[in-house]
Amino acid sequence: MTMSDFHPQVKQLLDGELSLADLPSALRAEGEEALRMLTAVDREPVTFPGLDTRVRAELRRRREAPGFWRRLRLRPWTLVPAFAAGAALALLLSRSVPTPQATTATVRFVLFAPDAQQVALAGTFNQWDTAATPLLRTGTPGVWAATLTLPAGQHQYAFVVDGARWIADPAAPAVDDGFGRQNSVLSL
Amino acid sequence: MSGREVATDGHVVRAILAGDTERYGELVTKYRDRYARYASRMLGSADAAEDAVQDAFVRAYDQLAQCRDPDNFVGWFFLILRNRCFAERRRSKDVAPLEAAGAVAAAEKSDAPVEMAERRRALQHALLELTAEQREVFVLKHVEGLSYGEIAERLKTSVASLKMRMHRAYDRLREQLRGRA
Repeated sequence: MTMSDFHPQVKQLLDGELSLADLPSALRAEGEEALRMLTAVDREPVTFPGLDTRVRAELRRRREAPGFWRRLRLRPWTLVPAFAAGAALALLLSRSVPTPQATTATVRFVLFAPDAQQVALAGTFNQWDTAATPLLRTGTPGVWAATLTLPAGQHQYAFVVDGARWIADPAAPAVDDGFGRQNSVLSL
Repeated sequence: MSGREVATDGHVVRAILAGDTERYGELVTKYRDRYARYASRMLGSADAAEDAVQDAFVRAYDQLAQCRDPDNFVGWFFLILRNRCFAERRRSKDVAPLEAAGAVAAAEKSDAPVEMAERRRALQHALLELTAEQREVFVLKHVEGLSYGEIAERLKTSVASLKMRMHRAYDRLREQLRGRA
């Protein structure tokens, strides 16, 4: 307790559990100081009348955003070394056919998540739908995988473990998703 | 009473997940202002709060399939917004809390008596010096008017731990306000 700490009974006053009259006279002045502090609380309502439009516009923009597929020459992907990230270890194995004219590539996504009950892949290629692309258990304990055919271009994605935990692939480049989370980037 | 059934949040959420995505606007309209003041006081700026609420709605839309109790969409949405506010505070902690505090007080209370305006500004400034957890419990109790029991339910924590947090907040606020006096 320091000089500036309120007496426990004054804290009860601030909590609304005691009234000023309940305090011993020696604490009245401190009690009045405390209540004066609460009178300065700003309870003015705040409204955001333009928010509907902003949210609608942002969702529309995001729905239309994936249309920037770039036709790039495909590169063969190699096994990226596994990388431990807390309880989850993710690795990405991707193979594609290196024909210059190809516009799609087959990509195998692999996640090592021994404690997971279910794992899914969400990304720009499935409109971030966490139910669209489940990973299946492989023959190796704790290893989950899914194989997708994706158009050439840049894709962003993340693994979703047990429907709630979003995990960026630590073995792939990441970008901020704008909400404090990282998405992985796959360029084909 | 009309015979029309009022759509619950659960109905709306399920309709959106079934493909009627335009109905998300109903949830945005219904809840856009509910936590506007909470976010403003948490972040010390109405502009930052509006961005946070917008981002929370976009994120909630993206993750809607994970809303385990669609009838309590708003409780789930609050937790998303809360995370967003905490992350924003961590990110901007060293930026300009003084300016932010001044902006809120000046913008909203230009017609208030000078002394009260100054005291509000001082308290808002002191609130921004608290940890996000301390500030949150103060805002929910003394700005939003919730009881400890209601806050505990919303934040999935105990009344005892909330009181401990709040009592530390009272002491820190007093220290801050005395330092400015």
